[in-house]
Amino acid sequence: MTANATDAPRTAVVGHRAGVRRPPRTLVAAAVVTAALFALPGGYVVWRVMGGSGSPLALLASRRTIEPLWRTIQLAVLVSTSTAVLGTGLAWLTTRTDLPLRRLWRIVVPLPLVYPSFVGAAAFISGLAPGGIVHDLVGYLGVDLTTRLHGLTGSWLVLTLFTYPYVYLPVAARLTALPGAFEENARLLGDGPRRVFARVVLPQIWSSIAAGSLLVFLYTVSDFGAVHLMRFETLTQTIFRTRLFDRDRSFTLALLLLVLALLVVAAERTVSRSGRRRGAGLTTLGDRRSLTVPLGRWAAPALAATTSVVGLALVAPAVSLADWGLFGFLRARHGGMPLRLDWHDVLGPTWNTVWISVLTALVATVVVLPVAYLVARHRSRLGEAVNAVVVAGFAIPGLVVALSMIFWTMHASPFEFLIGSMPVLVFAYVVHFGAQAMRTAQVAVGTVPRRMDDAARLLGAGRLRRLATVDLPLMAPGLAAGAGLVMLSTMKELPATLLASPIGFRTLATQIWNTYEALFLPETAILAMVLLCISAVLTWLLVVRRSEHLR
Amino acid sequence: MPTTDTHTPILGSSAATHILLGMLNRRIHVPRAAAEGLEVSDLSVAYDGPPVLTHVSLEVTAGEIVALLGPSGCGKTTLLRTIAGLERQQAGTVRLGHRILDDGTRFVPPERRRIGMVFQDGALFPHLDVGQNVAYGLPRAERRSSRVADTLELVGLADMVDRMPGSLSGGQQQRVALARALAPRPGVLLLDEPFSSLDTSLRVQVRNEIHHLLLELGVTTVFVTHDQEEAFVLGDRVAVLNDGRLAQVGTPDELYRRPVDRWVAAFVGDANLISVDTAIGICRTVVGDVPVVGDVDGPAELLLRPEDIRVEDGDDGVVELVEYYGHDAMVQVRLDDDTTIRVRTGAVLTHQRGDRVGVTYVGPGAVALGV
Repeated sequence: MTANATDAPRTAVVGHRAGVRRPPRTLVAAAVVTAALFALPGGYVVWRVMGGSGSPLALLASRRTIEPLWRTIQLAVLVSTSTAVLGTGLAWLTTRTDLPLRRLWRIVVPLPLVYPSFVGAAAFISGLAPGGIVHDLVGYLGVDLTTRLHGLTGSWLVLTLFTYPYVYLPVAARLTALPGAFEENARLLGDGPRRVFARVVLPQIWSSIAAGSLLVFLYTVSDFGAVHLMRFETLTQTIFRTRLFDRDRSFTLALLLLVLALLVVAAERTVSRSGRRRGAGLTTLGDRRSLTVPLGRWAAPALAATTSVVGLALVAPAVSLADWGLFGFLRARHGGMPLRLDWHDVLGPTWNTVWISVLTALVATVVVLPVAYLVARHRSRLGEAVNAVVVAGFAIPGLVVALSMIFWTMHASPFEFLIGSMPVLVFAYVVHFGAQAMRTAQVAVGTVPRRMDDAARLLGAGRLRRLATVDLPLMAPGLAAGAGLVMLSTMKELPATLLASPIGFRTLATQIWNTYEALFLPETAILAMVLLCISAVLTWLLVVRRSEHLR
Repeated sequence: MPTTDTHTPILGSSAATHILLGMLNRRIHVPRAAAEGLEVSDLSVAYDGPPVLTHVSLEVTAGEIVALLGPSGCGKTTLLRTIAGLERQQAGTVRLGHRILDDGTRFVPPERRRIGMVFQDGALFPHLDVGQNVAYGLPRAERRSSRVADTLELVGLADMVDRMPGSLSGGQQQRVALARALAPRPGVLLLDEPFSSLDTSLRVQVRNEIHHLLLELGVTTVFVTHDQEEAFVLGDRVAVLNDGRLAQVGTPDELYRRPVDRWVAAFVGDANLISVDTAIGICRTVVGDVPVVGDVDGPAELLLRPEDIRVEDGDDGVVELVEYYGHDAMVQVRLDDDTTIRVRTGAVLTHQRGDRVGVTYVGPGAVALGV
């Protein structure tokens, strides 16, 4: 049995190896250029730090470096731990128990992904502030709410609520794929439900939990908006604050953040790879029904817990924003301060947001496709290496990418014309989000069977005709999904947009940020709701509906 | 279907003329003239590791059907793919008709080889309908011609032009794949285990249809199979591959009656191998006197096919096992010297497990294989 399980994939690999063709030179050249471009921002950070005036080591050891680093790690550990618990718990409840309304929950629970963390943080803070819905409701009861969300607690709460889907989605998918036969066998071998969970289920979903939590860790250390609004100074804040006056410090901290992020991504890759190995062959088992655990008297508490999580993470921010938006309208209607927005101010940034993210998505897809071909079809070592560079690009926080590119354009002599231009912004996005298109592109390339390509070749089709008539049509759905993910991330991205946008280029994200910083909360709410609507449609189409746990 | 007869209208409308011209039309489209001979000589292929094919030479005459038979991993699919140009060879020459496809210096890429190939699962383009699939390999000018309809009619699927591959049965898919491969009039047709993805009952039916078609069209065909029966039924000749080398090439009955070694003997059918000290003339064995074909002066093994032996009442051994197949049966007898002999008997069973029986050689003569 074990011999069988380990032999099968190996022979499959050998069999595939036989059909592998040496990659065409154009493909190799394209991949090398891609790698060079993706390595540029990170490489420039390293180069700046090495060539800086002060000693980077002395900077690193100073208290003003250690403190933000410590706060960053503290927050990231807290958030990833709490999301691990929350995400796993919700995943188990919605996939493995008779929780009432669980079909609904499966759709609703991952939806907080819709909120960019800074929008969520803004919604929470403004809800509690005077004029916010919570403050006012409590006010009717005669209590003057003075509690404000800020600092570590605020950041932790907000980031936990908006990032737990990163754990929930992979764990729920794994739990759904895990055949009930394992648990049934464990029961027959004499374990009670609790011990079955600990001895059979947990080891199987462990890698998914770990991979999800590491993604949350990465998200937290890279986060800029939420911690800024919560006035909690993590590395990203210090880098942002010192970028103009103390560039050596800014770049040294950027390098520190970069290394931290790379370590996290490396760990995530290792964990999920080992998880895939362990899970290999699972899907070949015939019986895919999974066991349902009756909750009994725990049904009510479980329902209450699920409802309150979804209420806090999904409903509360929406209500808070809607309340502010409505307030703004009513105030203007009744002759109060008019809204500082007209249609033009909403449609302009919306249009900018849409086209820049569509453009980014297209560029990213085209750029990663040669690499995906090298990896998935030609099994090339070079392809793997370039892939690693692209994935590393995903690890580099948007803030660092943008910062690096801005200073690079300012100092690289033939490229000054790029300063503050649209290509730099798109480039920063592509480097930061290309990896998201890469995963789906590799899957898409993998879904076109080699025989299909061979068949077309033998029927006389040259490389371009094969690409146009066989590969692209077959890959289209996968590539579109990857492009969609890049689009979604791009429109939610704040720091890179703030830093790298050409002067006067307004997107929804930057406008939400600016109106909030200027304390025009109704205007913030209206713009945020527009962004949320677009983001919700894309999240539904690309993340929730496609996720395996719904099947 | 009338749309296919684009040349006919000027010549009157009588039904008979119509049909006759229709047939003539079809005649013209039959790629009989396209069939070419294929010659593979001294071919070696290796991937990163040990060689997959070593010094393989095979000649297929125009219009011939040759089966490549061998166990899985013996290199037969690699041989097919190398002929197609999908794998690169390390040494040797591939020639189709007068054209050299690959001799180490010149390499004709697959898209210019004029070779048709049908893959295990058909590999139809799932996003194109049946007609578009068949038209794919045709030159642009011909894609709208009657060639597509004609070829589909050959495989009996003329009314399926607009269907998508996903809505076809496995057998229909394979026939479309065949039509697609035949449409551009290839010099040689390669089939890679074309029936293995079909279930047993369908397999025989599709195999028969395709066999008829290939004979009718006179296409030079090389096909790969691991199924001995399939190789024998379809192949004019069979090439047996073992571990990257050609073990033997011959007509099915040559292979079955006169295999070159015990491996081929056992691979192409059930074999009783009886050791003898020397195999000359007539050998005295446990199953009686056996006339020897191809004398071996020295220790040898005689190949006794199960159907050349008869079980009767007697005292040579005990029936150990009876496998009943319906059309016949296999009886395994353990002789008193502890050798086992497998005997094919008719469908009427005369002996049962545990019976003491005698065994006698009744065949035309056994080939002697030196050891």
